[in-house]
Amino acid sequence: MRLKIKRFHYARDVEEALSLLSAYRGRGAILAGGLDLARSFNPKLEGLIDISGLGLSYVHEQDGGLRIGATTTLTEVLESRAAREYLGGFLAEVVGQVANPPLRNQATFGGAVASAHPWADLPTALVAVGAEVRWVDQEGEHRARVEELWQGEFRRLLSSAVITEIFLPPWEGAFAFGKLSRNVGDIALLNCACGLGIEDGKVAWARVALGATPRRGRRLLWLEDLLTGEAPGEELWQVVREQVEANVEVGADRRASAAWRRAAAGPLLARTLARAAEKATARQR
Amino acid sequence: MALEGKVVGRNVRKVDGLALACGRPKFTLDLDLPGALVGKILRSPYAHARILRIDTSRAEAVPGVACILHHGNVDRVPYTTAGQGWPEPSPYDNFLFDRKVRFVGDRVAAVAAETEEAAREALRLIEVDYEVLPAVLSPEEALAAGAPAIHDEDDAEGIYDAQHNIAAAVDIPVGDIERGFAESDVIVEASCEIPYSQHVALEPHCVIAYFDEDGRLVLRTSTQVPFHVRRIVARVVGLPMEKIRVVKPRIGGGFGSKQEVILEPVAAALALRAGRPVVMALDRAEVFTATRTRHPMRVRVKLGAKKDGTLHAIEMEALSNTGAYGAHSLTVLSNTGSKTLPLYNKAPHLWFHGKAVYTNLPVAGAYRGYGATQGYFALEVAMDMLAERLGMDPIELRLVNHIRAGETSPIFEKIGEGREGKPQTVKSCALEECLRVGAEKIGWREKRARRRREGSWAYGVGMSVSMQGSGITGIDMAAATIMMNENGSFRLLVGATDIGTGSDTVLAQIAAEVLGVPVERISVYSSDTDFTPFDTGAYASSTTYVSGMAVLRAARKVREAILEVAAGMLAEPPEDLELAEERVTSKKTGKSVTLSEVGHRATYVVDQRHIIASASFVPEESPPPFAAFFCEVAVDTETGVVRVERFVAAADCGVAIHPKLAAGQLEGAIVQGIGHALSEELLFSEKGRCTNANLFDYRIPSALDVPALEVVLVDSEEPSGPLGAKSIAEVGINGPLPAISNAIYHAVGVRLTRAPFTPARVLAALRG
Repeated sequence: MRLKIKRFHYARDVEEALSLLSAYRGRGAILAGGLDLARSFNPKLEGLIDISGLGLSYVHEQDGGLRIGATTTLTEVLESRAAREYLGGFLAEVVGQVANPPLRNQATFGGAVASAHPWADLPTALVAVGAEVRWVDQEGEHRARVEELWQGEFRRLLSSAVITEIFLPPWEGAFAFGKLSRNVGDIALLNCACGLGIEDGKVAWARVALGATPRRGRRLLWLEDLLTGEAPGEELWQVVREQVEANVEVGADRRASAAWRRAAAGPLLARTLARAAEKATARQR
Repeated sequence: MALEGKVVGRNVRKVDGLALACGRPKFTLDLDLPGALVGKILRSPYAHARILRIDTSRAEAVPGVACILHHGNVDRVPYTTAGQGWPEPSPYDNFLFDRKVRFVGDRVAAVAAETEEAAREALRLIEVDYEVLPAVLSPEEALAAGAPAIHDEDDAEGIYDAQHNIAAAVDIPVGDIERGFAESDVIVEASCEIPYSQHVALEPHCVIAYFDEDGRLVLRTSTQVPFHVRRIVARVVGLPMEKIRVVKPRIGGGFGSKQEVILEPVAAALALRAGRPVVMALDRAEVFTATRTRHPMRVRVKLGAKKDGTLHAIEMEALSNTGAYGAHSLTVLSNTGSKTLPLYNKAPHLWFHGKAVYTNLPVAGAYRGYGATQGYFALEVAMDMLAERLGMDPIELRLVNHIRAGETSPIFEKIGEGREGKPQTVKSCALEECLRVGAEKIGWREKRARRRREGSWAYGVGMSVSMQGSGITGIDMAAATIMMNENGSFRLLVGATDIGTGSDTVLAQIAAEVLGVPVERISVYSSDTDFTPFDTGAYASSTTYVSGMAVLRAARKVREAILEVAAGMLAEPPEDLELAEERVTSKKTGKSVTLSEVGHRATYVVDQRHIIASASFVPEESPPPFAAFFCEVAVDTETGVVRVERFVAAADCGVAIHPKLAAGQLEGAIVQGIGHALSEELLFSEKGRCTNANLFDYRIPSALDVPALEVVLVDSEEPSGPLGAKSIAEVGINGPLPAISNAIYHAVGVRLTRAPFTPARVLAALRG
């Protein structure tokens, strides 16, 4: 694909980025890590607006939650102490499995939210923890849970906006992430993020998201209901295996068949839940 | 005799290492040629179609378009893209542009334009009317009664049976196979299949065609076979060979894919038509679909053995898919048997037979292992089955059956390069030691006896063995020229092609050893059809052995000339002199002269002459390297995910001239083989379009996927090779597929016979 870029802008602030974006009327794009621009380049693009100078590369802890600036690279997230400590290392566990180091040096957290590829790992994790996206457009500042955002026409919405921050809320329990892929650095054939709160030896709450099904990660509310109030343990995980194989909604793409996804989803979820339960129980102690 | 090497056997610094590390412009496209046109190819959207009409008028009107070529305005010359020695064993079933297209991605037309944008715009505006024909998308469909004939042109040459889509066929009986099986105590059979896979060399196929000051055509190209490029391009574009010069700069990997002459004739034709330089480079999608792939193959092996494990009868049947054209169709098929069956030379009854058939899918060609990889998958899985049936340790079964030094196999004589071969006795074989060392390192005995299980993960160990060859007997020819500079340094000119293997360094080491100098005193130049002597090229595991022998011979001649000059200086006969450490020294008096003094005298002082020598080498045999492979895998019984936890390979490549480079060849081949086993497969739509022609969807292993990998070079000495060396380039890729399949069987008791062993395939096998 040939670039027809005529102008390259370093935006000085969000307002400038937005006004430039607006002036291009669809022929301009925000550039952060640039991976998706390079992967599926829009030949109509004439201008690129670099937002790396907006001061949006940071990771801050806030009341047990995490504020991550949109242009923070995945490597910066991995290297940040706050991110490594968030939910007992859950975020680092996820990010460490995304692609490979050179790509993580380039990919940004905001970019992952904006592209929200169905096969990607971060969306599944962000849905599970109930992350919130904050963005600015001509009408002002907005925020929404990723789940809600991705259910709507988010690409159209974000095409005239600048994502500024992603907020990951605090949780009392623990989360674990599971992924099946063909090799290291590959996208997921199936991934999941599972969070559990354990009180008095029972599941007090559950947050379970399954992704790359091949659809984007979404919560399995029925499974969360099934888990709540039950005692974590091999017996429960066996129920999870069986119920998931019987009820999960999966499809086929060129990477994996629906039959395999159906068979593998149960074990993947059961193991990831078991790890989450172990961590949650340990945290409780 | 093995040399107590001062240079050989040492990990000297690579001759091009510093330049590569510094990013110096060594590669094909690093040459910036002002005013060069950009060449692009229009490709077929259909798997099988006849071109009814082609109209380039709108495309020609695009500003900046210099010329457009298609079947209507170029000469029709049948040829093969396979860069092999003469007589070419592959059918002449290619044309620069044809009236018919035979796979999605086949060439329809080519454009040369001032800019890439103009070239692309012109491609878009070429109007083509196709009559879409029924497509043949599997070997079984190709052989079915009434299947459409893919090569129905009447001017192709050398196709075995075009009407029935058979590009090539082999039928090699030895002894009486039926009697052999009847006399066997135990019979097992395995059928294994390898899909389409691509080499994925880092550097895509690329070429620059330009004219020198005398108007001769120069092709600077990323190739493994510069001299074959010259011969084939001369044929296709109708130029006398002396009007063409092929320059091979540094190459960014080939693995066989650049043993094909794919882009060069197109670039040459465009440059000749436009009278301007033309630059062409394929993008990754084109590399995947429109260069070459491994031959997908289904190989069935039936083994008959006596109770003590001695093989008595081996039948091997191969069904090879050569895709739309027959590049290497016969020779890859032949190698499936010729590089596998001699390994087990105890069986008196053999039958090797098979077909390579055309389909409307991408074109297969040479790929590291060259048919042996396909053959060993089935053979070594069958050996594992046989060991189980006999209640023998798989290593023991190999020890009972494998060929030893001093032994031969009738296959050497029966199967050659597209014709009969030559009898050969194996002169070096350290496979027994390879098996011992490998088994010890992996912990074979303990791990084999006790299977480990952790939750849903089952662990197992498996093994395999393989051999290959070193060059092509009686066909490969390499030459080398060595000249001495007046300061006692040397220039080594070779037609041999360093494609990233490090052969420039290896050849310099051989010369340096003989000439008594460090490698730094030798400048290597490879290769240029105008300035370096002939070499068939880098394929068939030939460079160290064949080109190395040419260098050795040339170096010995130069050494003689040096001693002669020094004899005059020291007033002693040459036989009393020795050459070492950049000096010629009298064995009697201890007096010496430096090589610099010898060079100066020969060049300027007395009886002036250039100390220079050339030598050629044609191998009379192709000594096999041997290797034993051991791996430990973990199989997730719930999801089918397979992890290779550990891999050990022990190989016998004779004397390793540069041990680190030799080990690197083995490591690289094993990782490529792991890719074959676990993830690599080109997928096609119902209409024959490749659906994963990119590195995002087609997964090759990265450094992060490499398991704990240990390679050991076991000492041996090949008497026919340069300073005891034989090859190492290919033998390593044959092991991983069967070793991993056998390890999975050990872990979970199911045989994986269709590569790659994806989670879905493994889980399906586990669930029966």
